[in-house]
Amino acid sequence: MSDLATALVFWPSAAIMLVTGLYVFRTRSMARAGLLLLASLGIEGLVFLSLASEFLGVLQLLMMSGEMVIMVFFMVMFMADPGGLMGMDMTHDKRRSAAVAAGVAAALGAVAVATDWPGTVVTGAAPDIEQIGFEVMGRSMLSFLFAGMTILFAMVGGILLAKHGGRLGIPAPAGEPRDEEGAP
Amino acid sequence: MISLPVVLATAALLFAVGVYGALSQTNAIMVIMGIELMLGAAMLNAVGFMRYAWPDAASGAFFVLVVMTLMAVEATVGFALVIAAFRNRRTAELDDLTELRG
Amino acid sequence: MSNWTPFAILALALGGAWAVACVEQAVAGGRVAPAHVLRRAAAQIDQPLAVPAGRDAWLYHLAPPLLLVAAVVALATVPWAPGFRGVDLSTGAILFSAALAYVTPSVFMAGWGAGGPLAVLGGFRFIALMLGFAMPLAMVVTAVAAPAESLRPAAIVEVQHAVPMVIVQPFAAALFVPAAMAVALLAPFDLADATTELEGGAFSRYTGLHAGLIALARKILVLAVAGMTAALFLAGWQGPLLPPAIWMALKTGAVVAGMLWAGRRLPRFELERLLVVAWIVAIPAAIGVIVLAGLITLLFYR
Repeated sequence: MSDLATALVFWPSAAIMLVTGLYVFRTRSMARAGLLLLASLGIEGLVFLSLASEFLGVLQLLMMSGEMVIMVFFMVMFMADPGGLMGMDMTHDKRRSAAVAAGVAAALGAVAVATDWPGTVVTGAAPDIEQIGFEVMGRSMLSFLFAGMTILFAMVGGILLAKHGGRLGIPAPAGEPRDEEGAP
Repeated sequence: MISLPVVLATAALLFAVGVYGALSQTNAIMVIMGIELMLGAAMLNAVGFMRYAWPDAASGAFFVLVVMTLMAVEATVGFALVIAAFRNRRTAELDDLTELRG
Repeated sequence: MSNWTPFAILALALGGAWAVACVEQAVAGGRVAPAHVLRRAAAQIDQPLAVPAGRDAWLYHLAPPLLLVAAVVALATVPWAPGFRGVDLSTGAILFSAALAYVTPSVFMAGWGAGGPLAVLGGFRFIALMLGFAMPLAMVVTAVAAPAESLRPAAIVEVQHAVPMVIVQPFAAALFVPAAMAVALLAPFDLADATTELEGGAFSRYTGLHAGLIALARKILVLAVAGMTAALFLAGWQGPLLPPAIWMALKTGAVVAGMLWAGRRLPRFELERLLVVAWIVAIPAAIGVIVLAGLITLLFYR
């Protein structure tokens, strides 16, 4: 991609990514928070595309929509005020966390700007998908295997955590008090 | 005009937004969202390095793949924990889940 | 991708949507009136915009454009002819899945944004359905790309010069077509927004320009999904006598007619059964299809 095209895609995308990311935590409505996170991380896919990583950009766009939809699902299930209509404030330590965040940004930004990075001539596109495939199946096969096993353990563990009665499958006793909605 | 420090600075800002979210929100699901933003910033770093410092290293792309996988895994385990906490204690607010606090 | 490609894709989107509307009329058994379709579309857009009171304004107004953008990007990745391949990315097949993946947030935004309980329910039903069907959709695309050794849709069309993929990998086609129909909001999987379900479901609260955009986007989705089915499974533009573009148009038209006809003939499936089939049958079958595709590639395509 030419320099101008890269800049045209990168700057607006980066700006929207940061602004929507910040608004995820400032909005009261949970559906909007989930969809703002989708916007932020999805537009990060566009940023990847502008940085000549075609496969990663498209993959990011694909995966984020599924993940964020699931997140909205869960938020509406488990949060007290999903519509944001009652105006509850769901934060604590706002000033301290903002200070920590600013400190982290300053530290990382200082490292980013002040370090003497190796000056390589930017040749062409990033590794294309065939090279990535050979890398995954060749040199990084061990890491790939471990990543696969991690997913499997996470799936099994997640299901065990979430099922009724936990991993032993013990059902709730008959006389357990239920509230008006009838949830156990 | 876009060079490595620019990309890294953008990623640093995104990371900071994620830190703000993870520290300031009381609900577990919002904390998960903050962590997702932080992992997104890590991915942006890797892509920046791949583009501007080491263009031939496909292992950078593999790193991004693994981090994307980890985003999904972390969300999975996080949501399972939220379901379990909600089932036992009817709340997913981190301020109420303080039984182990010392 | 030449400079004319975006205009060509837009023209294809509008013309194709009109053609799909005519095919819908034909399949419904009525008289095909092409001009009447255009008049009705113009009348729809002329209607005043009536927004529901309890709406979430951002989500309500952003859902139709998002659906339209998703549909047009999906249409752009389909290879229509050797000279007009749309957006010819080397990862075009994944871009197709990614564009279709944005139909789900759009339907959810429409349902939640409208603010009425039945619309919200329609949105959630669609999420539940697509969570199950999105994975077979993406996995089957991988399986079909394996013999071509490329994710470029044009390459997948060209590897079918001897025999169409539907004969080599029938199970892949059997998984892809229902998932594609579900994501294109077609019957018999349209439990989220059929007019007799939930009073119209997720898209029921839209009028005027929004409703026109949504109808246009749905027809473009049907065209995109049918075009990709023809490209991936029916050997796209390959054929003996006629020019390649004509073959592609014929095959796409046949798939569109088949999908719409199946929608009218089959009763609407209910959500629980679809979810059971999707999670317990379709996803393991998709993994099996990928393994089988690897074997077939090693045995026949190398």
